[in-house]
Amino acid sequence: MFAFAGKKLIQLIVTTIGVVTLVFFTLRLIPGDAASAMAGDTLSGEALERLRDQMGLNEPLMSQYLTYWRKLLVLDFGETITTGLSAGELMRAAAPITISIALATIVVTVLLAIPLGTLAAFLAHKGKKGLDSLITGAAMVLDLMPSFWTGLFFLLFFSLTLGLFPASGTVSLENPGHFLQRIALPVMVLSVTQVATMARITRTAVLEVLSEDYIRTARSLGWSELRVLFRHALKNAALPIVTVVGLSFGSLLNGTVIVEFIFNIPGIGSLLVNGINSRDYQMVQNLIIVYALIFVTINFVTDLVYRKIDPRVSF
Amino acid sequence: MNFARTMIDTVLSVRDLRTEFATDKGVVRAVNGVSFAMRRGERMAIVGESGSGKSAMAMSLIRLLVHPGKVVNGEVWLQGRDIMTMSESELNDVRGNEIGTVFQDPMSSLDPVMKVRDQMVPPIMRHLSLDRARAEAAAVAWLDKVGIPDAARRIDAFPFEMSGGMRQRVMIAMALSCQPKLIIADEPTTALDVTIQAQIVELLRTLTAETGTAMLFITHDLGLVSRFARTVAVMYAGKIVEIGPTRDVFGNPKHPYTQSLLSAIPRGADGGRSRLVQIPGFPPDMRQEILGCAFKDRCLGAEQRCGEAAPPLSARGPSHDAACWQPNGLDAGSLAQMRKTTDRAARPDVEALPPHDILETNNLSKHFVRGSMLPWRKPVVVRALNGVSLRVRRGETLGIVGESGCGKSTVARLLLELDAPTTGEIFIQGTAQMVFQDPSSSFNPKMRVQDIISEPLDINGRGSKADRAEKVRTLIRQVGLDPSYLERYPSQLSGGQRQRVAVARALALDPTVVVADEPTSALDVSVRAQIINLLCDLKDELGISFVFISHDLSTVRYISDWIAVMYLGEVVEYGPAEEVFRAPAHPYTRALLDAAPVLDPSAEDDRPVSIIKGELPSPLDIPRGCGFATRCPHVSELCRTEKPILVQRQPNRKEACHHVG
Repeated sequence: MFAFAGKKLIQLIVTTIGVVTLVFFTLRLIPGDAASAMAGDTLSGEALERLRDQMGLNEPLMSQYLTYWRKLLVLDFGETITTGLSAGELMRAAAPITISIALATIVVTVLLAIPLGTLAAFLAHKGKKGLDSLITGAAMVLDLMPSFWTGLFFLLFFSLTLGLFPASGTVSLENPGHFLQRIALPVMVLSVTQVATMARITRTAVLEVLSEDYIRTARSLGWSELRVLFRHALKNAALPIVTVVGLSFGSLLNGTVIVEFIFNIPGIGSLLVNGINSRDYQMVQNLIIVYALIFVTINFVTDLVYRKIDPRVSF
Repeated sequence: MNFARTMIDTVLSVRDLRTEFATDKGVVRAVNGVSFAMRRGERMAIVGESGSGKSAMAMSLIRLLVHPGKVVNGEVWLQGRDIMTMSESELNDVRGNEIGTVFQDPMSSLDPVMKVRDQMVPPIMRHLSLDRARAEAAAVAWLDKVGIPDAARRIDAFPFEMSGGMRQRVMIAMALSCQPKLIIADEPTTALDVTIQAQIVELLRTLTAETGTAMLFITHDLGLVSRFARTVAVMYAGKIVEIGPTRDVFGNPKHPYTQSLLSAIPRGADGGRSRLVQIPGFPPDMRQEILGCAFKDRCLGAEQRCGEAAPPLSARGPSHDAACWQPNGLDAGSLAQMRKTTDRAARPDVEALPPHDILETNNLSKHFVRGSMLPWRKPVVVRALNGVSLRVRRGETLGIVGESGCGKSTVARLLLELDAPTTGEIFIQGTAQMVFQDPSSSFNPKMRVQDIISEPLDINGRGSKADRAEKVRTLIRQVGLDPSYLERYPSQLSGGQRQRVAVARALALDPTVVVADEPTSALDVSVRAQIINLLCDLKDELGISFVFISHDLSTVRYISDWIAVMYLGEVVEYGPAEEVFRAPAHPYTRALLDAAPVLDPSAEDDRPVSIIKGELPSPLDIPRGCGFATRCPHVSELCRTEKPILVQRQPNRKEACHHVG
């Protein structure tokens, strides 16, 4: 297990170095630079040069790259170009909100999708097509609904018509009750697609496992269908499910950008949108790296969980 | 009438069992009214070819069929209770407790993500109402009993950390652990090597004798039946067509199907080189209602009444029944005719051809190196092949035998240049082509037979399009299929037909050598006979040489002129096939021959049980001296330190052993 974790950690570090390098150089490929973006039309000629000097943009590329790394390693993300606030501070305030939304979505998804998918698989296995088709069909329809559409619909229905959840207002972890009320709708919107996808994956995985020989063995030992389903089938089907949960985190992060915008929530998705709109070079670069780090970490955790479930995994 | 005694003694009694599978293409009547009874401690074999319904029948007995399978009729009495009318929870108290089950594939029958302990202990706790500590002690004791070394530690292993043989031992320990009245074993040794198979069969035999457990043994291997079973039931098209003591059924078969089946198997010494009997035609489509006897279309003795009514099982001797209108089945005339109609064509004089070598390998070895991502880890070297020299002359067949992992398939891959040898050379005059084991997975399912056979010609750009089409038609006739099959897809062919197409494709480029890797092991007995006959004919007619790789010793013996016995990537014995089989010199060859069951119940009874111990060492860690030293009964100090080389002691024969001669 330790050797495995070690191997995966090496992979994680290599990937991270790759991402940072790629982001750094890609942004340098874009015509124009941070100084001209920051200055806009107000500065020209010598003043612009001075700004470049100040920002270190006239250094050789390699030394800029090293400086960048040096700052990154002490978590110095620099200042935002437009407001001059510390980018690190902004992200530290925004990240917990987005991560809470994402994690809550995953919890809701797992709690709903896995039982539903398992039930559908069990029914299909027993040849009871009716309810299985209903679950599978509903999952298919929900899966295809775009989140900006469900987002607006939920906003209209739950906030404006029913008045169940506030559609705006401050979002702060210091007031947990209000915080939960504010993130409830975004979580619901994101969960719709996630539950639908995950339920279908679970159904497929469990259905496949149910026709395995060792399931028959478990039955031949006198175990009830319920125990066969949960002790043997679900444990083996967990492998593809965990993989998909890990991978879906990516699309979930995508989704947070949209729902944060719709529900006016100051997470890192909003930071990103604002950063792009105001051409805040530094901020966008930082956020890309933060997103990449979240994603790489999630993959690392997925690998460890995978290995924990299946001792055969060696790489 | 000793009815009372029968009642007490009977463990299982099955009456008119019928099982159906409601598929999209219609209802498959897999089991069509099976009745039989088993006594305490009885070992009964159910034999039949694939599709005969034997597994469906066995699974029906404990209601282990999954959708769309369904038992539609019948009673299964287990000591006074009918399993068919039990509730789910009553049934769950019977399964694993009063009836133990062993399945075919030990690799997939154990839960891969659970330790042996977690799979084995809870059922014992439940069925025998033991606390955890006692159940664990019982589990370890059973593992020890089935021959798992260091059982107390191995109980914490995961299945993937064990070999196939070891896993099957675990399955057997699990099946026996609650001291059931009956064990149902569905092809328990089919996935295992012949030596491991012998160990497992012996284990089942002694354990059932010790505990008085009755055993129902489902198999397609008639040799195993004669080794193992006291009673045998032959199934055909979902019915038992003949049942009785194994000696009587095999010694004096009364049903035409049993009679043909027994003549379709290559027999060691007495069979010699006469052609195998082929059963014409195919088993009936089980989706259709069968009128009369199911075997009538393939039976030379069929008469009008066979088409009108199905013959019931009726007595042919003491407890020997057969379902045929004729009291003795096929008469001697028909059986003789069956052999005659399938006699070999006149053999062209291959000997007249210059007996030069078509294929020669020189000190061939292949090591697979698997590096690690971590730089301080030493790369792992799998020594699959260590210095193999072979030669095959024109028109001859070289048989390669050995357990899985001995390197025989690596030889095949090297001969076809699918892999490059690590050291050594291969000389082939002309080209070599391949026939694979599994004809269903070695074809592209989206290609028609026409394109499959033509593919090697197209790739090599042989002739014009018309020439190639003509060649394909010639080839398909050569392998005994009608050209109308060219339009079909692989899924529309039977296993035997697919293997014929594989042979046709191999012949397309006019090879001088055909390498056949287990070409018959996926096939049923009667189909296997057809393919063996075909290969023999092609060898005679075209003067092609064959390298025939198989673990089926009787087939290799029948088809080969020369034999190379391989162990741990080396040839340990080499010589003319008949001589090697008649008088094996190397202890490993002897062990292999001892392990393989023969088709003669009385010979099997008389045979001393001397079964080779242990398993093949890992090719990662090859013993320093003789590779076989870890399992050899004649091992000496010399064997452990010094590797014996292949030495010729008699004309034409070589063996690598310190203790021969």
